[in-house]
Amino acid sequence: MSSRGPAYEPAEDVGAVVSPDGLTVWVAGLPGGPIHVLEGVAASIWTAATSSPAEGWRTRVAAAWEQSADAVAEQVDAFVADLVARGLLRPAG
Amino acid sequence: MAAEDTAEDAAQVAAQVAGAPAAGPVAGSGEAPTSVDIPHEVRIAFAHAAAQHLVDRLGARAVHVKGAALDPSLVPGRSYSDADVLVHPSDVPAVLSALRDHGWDLINTFAYGSSFEHSATFRHEDFGLLDVHRLFPGTGPTPEAAFESLWAQRQTISLGGRPCAVPSRAAQACLLLLHAARAGNDAKAARDVDCVWTSATDAERTGVLEWADRLEAHVAFSVITGTLDDHAADPAYDLWRVAARGGTRVEEWRARIRAARGVRAKLAVAGRSVLVNVEHLSIVRGAPLTRREVVAEFFARPVRGVREQLHRRRVGS
Repeated sequence: MSSRGPAYEPAEDVGAVVSPDGLTVWVAGLPGGPIHVLEGVAASIWTAATSSPAEGWRTRVAAAWEQSADAVAEQVDAFVADLVARGLLRPAG
Repeated sequence: MAAEDTAEDAAQVAAQVAGAPAAGPVAGSGEAPTSVDIPHEVRIAFAHAAAQHLVDRLGARAVHVKGAALDPSLVPGRSYSDADVLVHPSDVPAVLSALRDHGWDLINTFAYGSSFEHSATFRHEDFGLLDVHRLFPGTGPTPEAAFESLWAQRQTISLGGRPCAVPSRAAQACLLLLHAARAGNDAKAARDVDCVWTSATDAERTGVLEWADRLEAHVAFSVITGTLDDHAADPAYDLWRVAARGGTRVEEWRARIRAARGVRAKLAVAGRSVLVNVEHLSIVRGAPLTRREVVAEFFARPVRGVREQLHRRRVGS
């Protein structure tokens, strides 16, 4: 993983659209669906995990919700692991 | 923020994280999928992305036109209801087949899509409507050559998170005008013409005219400049006259036959003129047609054509 690039990226067969306010992310399996909807904290995690730089992405999630990284790290990592397991995210190459 | 508040908020955030995503097929919660409102624009963006995904897999080529693919500075706030993708003609069969294999239902074929027989319409339960174009009406000298011209000066934008090729800005303006040329008195088309032609700068108009030349779109473009009748000798004249000014079904089919190239093509069009578009009627009625309905429509079409002709003669007399 390059620290300049994002920590994660959408998987090969996935498309994503972020709402203008950043509070919703729609994630679609391509080419046949379905569409997944991530809202609130889930949207923040997706956006931070797929944004540059990789370094500090968990801190950015926590800061967006006025929390410390330590307080939410475990849940954030578990959620990202779930997205990876579902084939929606993959570590950035 | 007090320490207790922080702890409580952290617990809430952690709880939200544990339960997210909030909807759709629910990841993370183990719950059954729920029905949610997904914005129309999002679905269409994914329709573009899905088409591009298939095109990439096939090693095919496509440019995305109009709708979400349109440069927003050309016609600010322009609405759209589907995704339009122009596929290189030689890649069309493979793309159509791949779409059908991935949950896209064909609801209108090229032959019955429009007088120009240019697009096939697909529908997907998540992504909505997709029009696959095998040519862009009015462009030439052949569909292949027109595609190559657009492809040679393509740009790339992101649609549904996928890099998609779109024509250059000036080419997009030209295509929008060619689309407006066959829209009759449609208010949306009139606004398009106002934005990208009537109110355009001299430099923008020059750019559009260069593309009209490059795409050999003189007959279609003459609708925009009000000089269509200068092309009365062109085989495509009647097609554009009916599209732009309206006409009866009989006039439309006569125009299609005149515009068809070669005897075989003319005969094929003439043959279709008396067939019933079962696919389209099924969509309109919302249910498959019965044999009786198909037969009724078969006879109704010629009758309708005669009635329209009679009506026009009365109006014209």
